[in-house]
Parts: sequence; structure tokens; C-alpha cells
Amino acid sequence: MKLFRRKPQPKPAPPRRSRPGLDARVPEGDPLTAWERRQAEYRLVSPANRRKMTVIVVGTGLAGAGAAAALGELGYNVECFTFHDAPRRAHSVAAQGGINAARAKKVDGDSISRFVTDTVRGGDFRGREADVVRLATESVRVIDHMQAIGAPFAREYGGQLATRSFGGVQVSRTYYTRGQTGQQLQIAGAQALLRQVERGTVNLHTRTEMLDLIVADGRAQGIVTRDLVTGELRTWTGHAVVLATGGYGSVYFHSTLAMNSNATATWRAHRRGAHFASPSFVQFHPTALPVSSHWQSKTILMSESLRNDGRIWVPKRADDERAPGDIPEDERDYYLERRYPAYGNLTPRDIASRAARTEIEAGRGVGPLKNSVYLDFRDAIARLGRDVIASRYGNLFDMYADVTGEDPYEVPMRIAPGAHFTMGGLWSDYDQMTSMPGLFVGGEAGNNYHGANRLGANSLLSACVDGWFTLPLAVPNYLADHAGQPVLSPDAPEAKAALKDVRRRTERFLRGGKTRPATFHRRLGEILYRGCGVSRDERGLNLALKEVRELREEFWRDVHVAGTGDRLNQELEKAGRVADFLELAELMVQDALARTESCGAHFREEFVLPDGEAQRDDERWCSVSAWETTESGRHVLHEEPLEFELVPLQVRNYK
Amino acid sequence: MRVELEIWRQASQTAKGAFERHVVDDATPEMSLMELLDRLNDQIVGQGDEAIQFESDCREGVCGACGVTVNDDPHGPVPNTPSCRQHLRSFGEVRKLRIEPLRSGAFPVIRDLVVDRSSLDRVIRAGGHVDVAAGTAPGADSLRIPYEEAELSLDFAACIGCGACVAACPNGSAHLFGGSKLAHLALIPHGEQERGRRAEAITETLDAEFGPCSTYGECVKVCPAGIPLSAVAAVHKERLRGVFRGRDN
Amino acid sequence: MPSDTVMAMTELKEAAARSQRRAPSSFALKQVMAITGIIFVAFVVIHMIGNLKVYAGEDSFNTYAAWLREVGYPLIPKQGILWALRVTLAVSLVLHMASAITLWARGRRARGRHRRRGMKGFSATSARAMLPGGVVIFVFIVVHLLDLTIGAIVQSGTYQGPEADGTVHAYANLVASFSRPWMAIFYALTMVIIAFHVEHGLRTVLQDLGATGRRFRKLWTILGGIVALAIVLGNAAIPILVLTGVIA
Repeated sequence: MKLFRRKPQPKPAPPRRSRPGLDARVPEGDPLTAWERRQAEYRLVSPANRRKMTVIVVGTGLAGAGAAAALGELGYNVECFTFHDAPRRAHSVAAQGGINAARAKKVDGDSISRFVTDTVRGGDFRGREADVVRLATESVRVIDHMQAIGAPFAREYGGQLATRSFGGVQVSRTYYTRGQTGQQLQIAGAQALLRQVERGTVNLHTRTEMLDLIVADGRAQGIVTRDLVTGELRTWTGHAVVLATGGYGSVYFHSTLAMNSNATATWRAHRRGAHFASPSFVQFHPTALPVSSHWQSKTILMSESLRNDGRIWVPKRADDERAPGDIPEDERDYYLERRYPAYGNLTPRDIASRAARTEIEAGRGVGPLKNSVYLDFRDAIARLGRDVIASRYGNLFDMYADVTGEDPYEVPMRIAPGAHFTMGGLWSDYDQMTSMPGLFVGGEAGNNYHGANRLGANSLLSACVDGWFTLPLAVPNYLADHAGQPVLSPDAPEAKAALKDVRRRTERFLRGGKTRPATFHRRLGEILYRGCGVSRDERGLNLALKEVRELREEFWRDVHVAGTGDRLNQELEKAGRVADFLELAELMVQDALARTESCGAHFREEFVLPDGEAQRDDERWCSVSAWETTESGRHVLHEEPLEFELVPLQVRNYK
Repeated sequence: MRVELEIWRQASQTAKGAFERHVVDDATPEMSLMELLDRLNDQIVGQGDEAIQFESDCREGVCGACGVTVNDDPHGPVPNTPSCRQHLRSFGEVRKLRIEPLRSGAFPVIRDLVVDRSSLDRVIRAGGHVDVAAGTAPGADSLRIPYEEAELSLDFAACIGCGACVAACPNGSAHLFGGSKLAHLALIPHGEQERGRRAEAITETLDAEFGPCSTYGECVKVCPAGIPLSAVAAVHKERLRGVFRGRDN
Repeated sequence: MPSDTVMAMTELKEAAARSQRRAPSSFALKQVMAITGIIFVAFVVIHMIGNLKVYAGEDSFNTYAAWLREVGYPLIPKQGILWALRVTLAVSLVLHMASAITLWARGRRARGRHRRRGMKGFSATSARAMLPGGVVIFVFIVVHLLDLTIGAIVQSGTYQGPEADGTVHAYANLVASFSRPWMAIFYALTMVIIAFHVEHGLRTVLQDLGATGRRFRKLWTILGGIVALAIVLGNAAIPILVLTGVIA
């Protein structure tokens, strides 16, 4: 194994930066065996004491359901919360492609270290290598476990598990169930959770939304919730709190996320003291459906595989009003093939997204709103025949026709980059604990694995590993310190104060203005797509910062929530979520401004190599930005320096 | 285009509901039912009234959160398609829509178009799971599952839990839902040790909370996941198997 | 704490739902309906095959009718088999109807206040016809027994019961009865209803007895259709032929 230890670099002191760097408590020594050693170090809680310890788990997606079920099974008293009507609805359900696992069963050269290399490089060296090793190690039994609790993975004719290769990886390590891997894993996880509910180890609270975190003695000890049906606000206390509440991509309004996905749980925890890491690291998917009309509610994701046979182009002339079929060959610009002759239409996600954005901004975008590019199958159909194309992409073509009413066999598809996955999230140490003691994080709500860019099929994996095989070990280690201590009283002053804060906030929404929360959300999305989207520059970011602040002021002045707070009121739910998005957005823009380099999905136009590639600044920015927001709303940057031992820091394209 | 709507409004579970008339003048053919309701809500709130409460989440047809009854059809006029993927352009000349909640005794209305479908989860909770603790699973490769069986299992596992089958059934039966879970788990080797217990637990919950099946076949016409009618047979097959074996497995 | 009250209420409701586990279970009732239904279908088919003797002439038909009363003799007393069948059928009838009514009531309750409307299609229509059709069939059974077995109330003017020496007048009774147009039409129409009842019933049996195999389900459904068709053709033809004077 080629080892590479990065020498600590002297860093210039940027403004508002605290020293020393954040400590992620990564085990010393050989990174490949670190997880094993850490597990041996973990303290335990005796079975008799476990019953007396309460763990609050928020979220029932792959990470939340897994953590709640596993901790319940171990004998802890688990209180589990979801704002959905059923645990199965969590947005993990919508993932399509698959779940990676470094099981290396086939002789195609896969291994733990290759997995680590792919993931660390994919993340452009902005993720924590040690955590990725754990991810790879535990990926092996995640597949066994998810299969055993009910996910019917695809099989070969011989009966063994089938795998396929996925996004930019040269081995075949992606396990799948048709195009519904997330759904099958999610259903399996949710039913495992319900099994614990039936056994009485987990109390499940559906339609109950977390609105604040209770911090006492410097530790997370409870949450404030709103019963979405009765409107009742109340406190819940426990010895530890786990947040598995997903990503915040829906801050962009139009995204591939679900309507109800939001950042409230993580953002409220952040406002109570948990650091928020890399908020500006957002992955934009190049093959999302464009926004075609005002009321279109989301940009549905189309599989990336379409780029295998489709050719991406725009008219050479800006504002070309002709139908695509009327534009002759020599007036079309196949810009990916032109600019990246080696990769052509198969350039990586971030490059394809950026290139599309460039064309659209130059006025060459197509479609009614001039906001998309063509993905054309004309040549592929001519070469392979309609039947072959139908057998490869039939269901995707049907879905496209279903949504847009256009027949992609006849007219080119229109695609555009859409906000998809957020690599950023609550900062956590190696044990998944945030900077707030007692507050743990799992899945997309956290930040540690994916760096500045996530590889396809790694998100389901990280959620499963966190939920089933990390949190159930790491949380008890923390609980061991507090064994025998009574749980905080739900009427403790800290709990009552948090409850009062939430009540005041809720009442503030109901005071009445004129504009619906959804309208503010839409406008926020527009600001972010423009200023803090696929590519960013200082001028745009500064403008976005100003606009976000103005919008937030306007929101509090003018937001209108119809109805009352004492029953189901989706407008009120939305208002709370948008209010938090408006604060989060400011931090996203701040983070993008502060990080004076381009890396992965974070592309600053000022930091570009002569050939157009992202210019990373490892001297200054080989670190995770973990932000603190003070009471007054000031953002303070803390940095966790990153070290890479297994995968040497590579400087891309230095010629 | 102009769409005339009659929407069910009900203030709470105990309140008496009624239809309310609305007109949307600027509907477009590409709008989905959910987007039409979004549009309408903007209008309603603009007029100073309270927004219609309705559920939807992923809007891709996989989470199962959405579901309204349109002109008597659960999910809407397009067969086997969830509400969020029913677009106005597919409704032909129909410009009058009567939208109400998914109807069933097992789905009490919470407010407007939102119903309580927790009865479905109680079916899963009773027995729709496999008794495996984290870390104790056998190697997934050591269990060989024939391709066809895995695919068949997936056909049943595709259920999105929307409850449209129950709303389509004049008997309020959830056999298609319960059967899809039983068939899904019966077709894979994991958890076969508890196959009999599972069948008993699930059929008893189906019996207690839902109606019996009389083979109307309405459920399969609306199921967005295309679960076949043989899922209903699977309920009885699994139960009979349990009765005759008289053992846990 | 109001939320505790809410939670307690939810738990109570859940408990109530669980205690709703009624005896006998709907599963058991469906099994009863399936088994008794199969008994009836078998009976109707055999009965229909027997009826075909009517085309072979008066003697043949009467001999068959007489044989039914003596089959198994002397091993089994005269009319023994006949009575065993009658008891089985009567018990099945009671069970089938009681189960049907119980399940119907449970279905209505489970559906709740808002009835399902706007159902279209063959399966839904025939499913909806099961209960009213069943009532008609029950009335038909009563009429049929009074008319041709017992000879009371609705019998034809020339009805003759079996004689002490075993001679029967089944053929003459049948012709006399069906010569009354309203009776012939009632018989023929009921046969159509029975056919639909049998067709849907057999498809439901498939569900109730848990047949999941794709090919078996298809085959059975086709067979069910054939059986239903045979019942109409074989049985309904007789009153029509009598009425039109072909059988006399």
C-alpha cells in the first residue's frame, strides 16, 4: 500500500477563523484497521441499564429507521419521530440507481482500498478518508443485512447477487433492485422499525415534526415537536438525540427532492450550537427535467444512463426559435463533444452541469423558458433502431413523455441541471457525533463521507451504514458516560425555554402578512440557482447574499399563513421550513464566498485552470469548513484539517 | 384552460364535510393533479381563505403519500397511476373534477383531502417484517435465489403503500396490500422460519381493520405499482398454509 | 398533558381495532363460502348432466329420477343417498348464506359512510350482483323444490308425486310445469343468474383457496367460464324447448 502522509502546512490566518482546527477524533494509526480498533475501544452499557436510557431518533429514512431499530433491538428506550404519516415515506424511498458495496466478490479488482480511492477522489479530497474506510468496511454486511430484512436484490440466473457499474467507477460494485433500490431498502428499513414498534422497544411518533433542540448542561438532551394534526407543541427528553433528517437540496425550491424535504431539524440544531459543515457543497444533476411552466413543482431526475446514447446540443445561434428538427446539422453545437472530445457526452456530472449552465446563460438554452439543452436520440435511433433504444430506455422515455407530453422518440428530450444531493450537513466527528455533545447525525443530514462531490450509489450506502452499523455502536459509547443518570425532565427550564421559543416563532407566523410561504421559497430558489448554483463567482455570491438577507427581512414582514395553529395546517409547516431555509441560504452563500477555490461541485469561476478545470487550493483549503452561527446571526468558521494517508492528494491536470 | 372543481372540505376528523366549488381559469395541460391543487391553493389563499390540505411528497410516484379520489376514481381517471403523475392532458375532454379524499372506513379524514392511513402500517407492524437483528444476517451470496423468484418477489415488493386499493374496494378490503407483503416475503428465503406466524398476524389485522375481499377487482385497476390480483390469493394461501402446518414456519 | 390524552386515545382506538377480531374470522367465513360454493357448483353440474336425460325421452328421464331414489340399495336404504345429499346441500346453503350476509355486512362497515361509486367493468358488475343474485337463487331453490319435488303451492295442476312402487312422473311434472310461460321464463332467467354467480364464485374460490400460480389461475378462470356457459345452455334450454313445444 502506497502511503502518503500530508505534512501539516502552515496556513495563512483568514478572518474569523478559530484555532486550533476541529478535532474529528479519528483513530491514530493504520487507517485500514482504524474502525476495528475504535469498535474495541467503545464503552458499553449493561443490558439492565439500557432500558433506563432514552434515545431520541428524528427521521425514519434509511439512516433513522436503521438507527432506531438497531438501538431498540439492543434494548434502549427509543423515541422515534417523523413528520410523515408513515415511516416508509421518507425520501430515501425515491433513490433509483443502487447501493455500492466493496464486497469484491467478483475478480474485477475491487477492494476496500479501491472503494476508498474512488470515493475520496470522487469527493475531490474534501471528505474524511477514515470515515470512507469505515463506509467501505461496513458496506459488506450492509448488503447481507438489507437483503435479510426484506430487500429483494436483483439476482443473476445462477441465483447470486447481481451488480452493475455505476458513475465513473471501473468495477462492478453497485447492488440494485430494478430502478427502485431506494424504495426497496426504505421499505425493508421501515418494516424493521415497525417490528421494533410491535415489540415495544421503539415508540414511533408519526406526523410529529421536530422544531427545536433542547440543550442542557452543554449537551443535547431533547427536542421540541409539533403534532401536525393537533398542533400541540411539546418537549421530549432523552440521553441522546440522533438526527437523520436528510439533506437540504430543496432549499433551491426546484430540485429532485420531495415536497416536504426540509432543513429545519438540522438547522435548528445548528442554531443551538452544532456546527454546519460545507453548506455550499451541493450536487447538481445534469439530467433533471427542466422547469417548463410556472406551476411545475419539481425537476424530476432522469437516469444518467441516458447520456450513453443521447447527444447533448444547443443551437449555435442564441435565441434560435426554430423547432429542433428544423435546425440543420451545421447550426447545432454539440458542445460537450466539442469541448471534451475524449469523454464527449459522458463527462462527469459536475462538468456536464456546468457546461449546460454556460450555454443556457449565453442565451442558447432551448424550450419555452430557454432554460434547458437538448438530449437527442435521433442518431442513436438511426444507428441502433427504435427497438434497441426502447429496450434500453423504454421506461425513462415513458416517464419523460408522461411528464412533458412530448415523445422523445420524435423530438429531443430537454434536460437541465437540477439541485440533487447536499454533501454538506451537520459536522460530525468520526463517531458521528456533532460538535454538540449528545447530538448524533446520520445519512444525508451529516457531511463526512462525500467531500465536495458524491459518487452515484454511495448515498444509500452511507445512510445504511450510519443507521445500522455506526450509530448503534457510537451512541452507546456516549451513553456509557451517562448510565444511571436520570433523563432530563420535560419540564426542565431549558426544555421550557426551548418550547417557549418555538411557541413564539409559531405565533409570529400566524400574525399575518400578505404573501404565502411558498412564494418566498420560490424566490429564494431563484436567487440561489442564480448566485450559488452550478457555478459561482464573488460578484454573484455577494449579490445573492444581499438578496437573501432582503428576502428574509421581507419574509418576516410579509409572510401570510392562513388558518390556525391548532390543527393540520400545511401552510404553517411550510412557513417554518422556509424561514429556516432563508437562514441556511445565507450560510450557504457565505461558505461559497469563503472557500476561495474550486473543488468538486463547488465551482468558483475565479479559480479555474487554463483548460477550464477546477483549481483546487490544497495549501489553503484542504479542510472541512464547519460553521457556527452565533446568537446574533454572525457566522464563525471553524476548520477541520483533512489528512489523506491511503489516497495521495493528487493535483489534477498540472502539466 | 378552465377547470371546474368540486373539492371536499372538512375542518377536522369529527367535522361534517362538504364539497366546495372552485374554478381554475389558467390550468395547463401539463399540470399534474397536485400542481392543479397548488395553483388552486394560491388562488384560495389570495382570496383570504385557508388552503386545501392535501398530501404529496416525492411527486414521482414512489413514496405513496399522495392520493385523492377524482370523479369517483381513487388517484384519478388514469388507471394504475398515482395522483402526482396524473396530468390534465390525459383527462381527455373532462374539465369538471370532483376531488375528495381516499374513502374508506379504515381511513378517517384528518382534514380536507388528508386521511389517516396508519391502519396500513398496523398490518406491517403486526407481521410484515423479518426477525433479523443487525449484524446477524447470513451472507447474501450464500443464499441462492433464482432470478425469476427474485423478480417475482420484486413484483409484489413494489407496493408503495398509498392505500388506493382500499379506497377502490367497495368492501374496504386491504387484501391487495397485505397480500403484496406476504407474497414478497414468501418468495425470498429470509424469514421463512416465521412464515406461518406472519400469515396469521397479517390476516388477523386485515380482518380486524379492513373488510373482506369479494373479487371486485377494483384494486388492481388503480394500483400504481401494478400489484397483480394474485396478491389477494397469496393472503389466503399463506394463511391456509399456516393453518394446515400448525407451526411457526 | 393533552398529548398524553391524545396518545392514550390513539392507543385505545388501536386496542379497540384489535379487539374487533370477530369470531368467526372473515378468513374462516371465506373458506366456508368457497367450500360450500364448490359443493353447489358440483351439484349444479351433476344436476345439469342428469337433466340432459330429458332429451332422451320420457322413459329415460323417469328411470333416472327413480334411480336417484334407489341408488346404493340394498347397501344403503332407499332414498339414503338422496337424503344425505339433501342434508349436505341444506347445511351448505345455510352456511353459504349466513357467511355471505355476515361478510357483506362487514364489508359495508369497513367501507364506511362514503360508498364506492362509479364502478365499471365485468368483474365489478358480477361481484355486485353476487348478493342480489344469491337471493334470487335462494327464491328459485324454494320455488323449484315446491314445484317439482314437494308439489305444493306453485306446482302445476297435474303434479303427481312418486308412487309407492317407485314409479315417478318426473317428466310429466316437468313438462306440465314449464308449459306455464311465467314459470319457464323464471327458470331460464334464473339459470343466467346462476351462471354469472358460478362464474364469479369460481374466480373468487381461486382467491379464497389461495391459488397463486399464473397458469393455474388462467386455466381455472377459463374452466369457470365454460362451466357457467354449460349451465345456461344445458338447463335454460329445457324450459324454452318445453315452451316452444319441442319437448312435450
